[in-house]
Amino acid sequence: MIVYSLILASIVAVRGEFIALALPFVMYLLAGFLRAPDDVKLEAARHLSTERAAPGSDVVVTVTVTNRGSHLEEVLLEDILPPDLTIRVGLSRHLVRFAKGASYTFSYTVSGPRGGYGFESVEATIKDRLAVTSRKVRLEAKGQLFVFPPVTRLRHVAIRPRRTRVYAGMIPARVGGAGTEFFGVREYQPGDPPHSINWRASARHEELLFSNEFQQERVADVGIVLDGRLRTNQFTRGHSLFEYSVLAAAALADALLTQGNRVGMLVYASFLRWTFPGYGRVQRERILYALAHAKPGGSEVFSDLEHMPTRLFPPESQIILVSPLHEDDLSPLVQLRAQGYQVMVVSPNPVQFELSYLPKTQTVELAGRVVRMERMLLLQKIQRAGIQVLDWDVNEPFDLLVKRKLSRPPAWLRAVGG
Amino acid sequence: MGLRDEVNVTVVAFVLSVLLGIGSLVIGYSQAGFADPVRWFVVLGFLWLAAHWQRWHWFSPVALLLAVAAAAYGVWKEFRTVWMILGALGGLLGWDLFDFARRLRYAAPTDDIRGMERRHLERVAVVVILGLVLALLSVYVRIQRLAFEVAVGLILLAALGLTRLVIGLRKY
Repeated sequence: MIVYSLILASIVAVRGEFIALALPFVMYLLAGFLRAPDDVKLEAARHLSTERAAPGSDVVVTVTVTNRGSHLEEVLLEDILPPDLTIRVGLSRHLVRFAKGASYTFSYTVSGPRGGYGFESVEATIKDRLAVTSRKVRLEAKGQLFVFPPVTRLRHVAIRPRRTRVYAGMIPARVGGAGTEFFGVREYQPGDPPHSINWRASARHEELLFSNEFQQERVADVGIVLDGRLRTNQFTRGHSLFEYSVLAAAALADALLTQGNRVGMLVYASFLRWTFPGYGRVQRERILYALAHAKPGGSEVFSDLEHMPTRLFPPESQIILVSPLHEDDLSPLVQLRAQGYQVMVVSPNPVQFELSYLPKTQTVELAGRVVRMERMLLLQKIQRAGIQVLDWDVNEPFDLLVKRKLSRPPAWLRAVGG
Repeated sequence: MGLRDEVNVTVVAFVLSVLLGIGSLVIGYSQAGFADPVRWFVVLGFLWLAAHWQRWHWFSPVALLLAVAAAAYGVWKEFRTVWMILGALGGLLGWDLFDFARRLRYAAPTDDIRGMERRHLERVAVVVILGLVLALLSVYVRIQRLAFEVAVGLILLAALGLTRLVIGLRKY
């Protein structure tokens, strides 16, 4: 614009001095344009020190950019970070000069909260020697980082589903056979080991012998439902119970898989994310991947538990719902129980949680008492429907709660036989 | 050596460029007896320097436009052309180094900042000196027999070349 204006002024005023004024600018433009890079062939490669990390732990990202084209005088490389990841050491932006065939490697350290992060590309802004021309290119350099939720080790989770699978495991199967827990007494059968004879019962009958029978222990089908609805997880000032729910779900899934059970997971939030049931370490990884991606969300369809697809779970299997609970959840839970499922609710206590963030005034205390009573009433109603409830004050470590409440099935459950 | 020390070379060159540009305009206008604009040039110079430290990136192109406009006005008013050319040249240098210093801020401390600065300053110096020599030659070397029509033709040819240049630039 400046050059054009000066030339125009020169013509209008019939004065050559304006042209003289424009000449340094013309020289500048020409020098920049003539030496502009014509052949841009950059390639990028990425390496992560680990693809699976714990929340807040350091991951080193190493990016190598190679110039396969002509010499580039000034290249601004900027690695585009996924949102929520923060750089702890180093920089993701570098200004470099690339000779033909040269490579440049830079590293930086990131950390982030639970989640799945995809690295896509490195942005390169290429300028000529005087920055007259500028070109932006995106160099594909994919990478994935999963920050898994922390997994609390639980020693034993006692569940009593109505139906078990055929394989040996740790869940009492309500069927007599080889096991450790006493199940009953039956008439002696040839082939029964002598130490299984119940001498006390046999002494009461002159011609009959009786043997002790033990309860078979097998594996079971377990479906874990993680409640990610905003209405149950989101509280004032952005505080959320969801991370605690994720922590509980991860710990339960890990413990139940370690016991040999077949475990599936349903994340119930703005949409349904179903992890098919499976066994062992591979399934543990699948569930942790699902939990890494789990986010709370709101939706009209899934605002209550009415639309939970119960057919995903095998009949009479164990369902564990991890949810802070809402008063509308009573009816769907009772329905679930009526369909024959053994239901357990692990409920991070929202009342205690929210009260810890509120000022301790008389009004808040009074409101807290009312809400606490409402919750207690809801939990009692759920328990009366034959559903096991773990009311979890999140200030207490989850493993302690499980040790206290789930190391063996509750007496009432054993008495009624589930 | 830290990033700040290495950037200093460019900053010093930027300050000298602003001084050259503003100083030349001040001298040129003062010699012609125009005292009022001189004060505004000084203010412009201070603002330009402040813009660097305050990171007002928008200010540098404005300052360049003002400097060139002032030089063009001086040429029109028949002030000494040398000072006006030096004023515009200082503006161009100041604008370039302001932008270069901004780009250097993106560099990591481990990058070869000193080498980049050295090479950039060398190139800019060569281009500016060539531009200055060419401009001075065009002022002082007169071809007496060149008809006005021929001059206009050459100007149009230059305009055409510049248009081609701009079209080429737009590809980037």
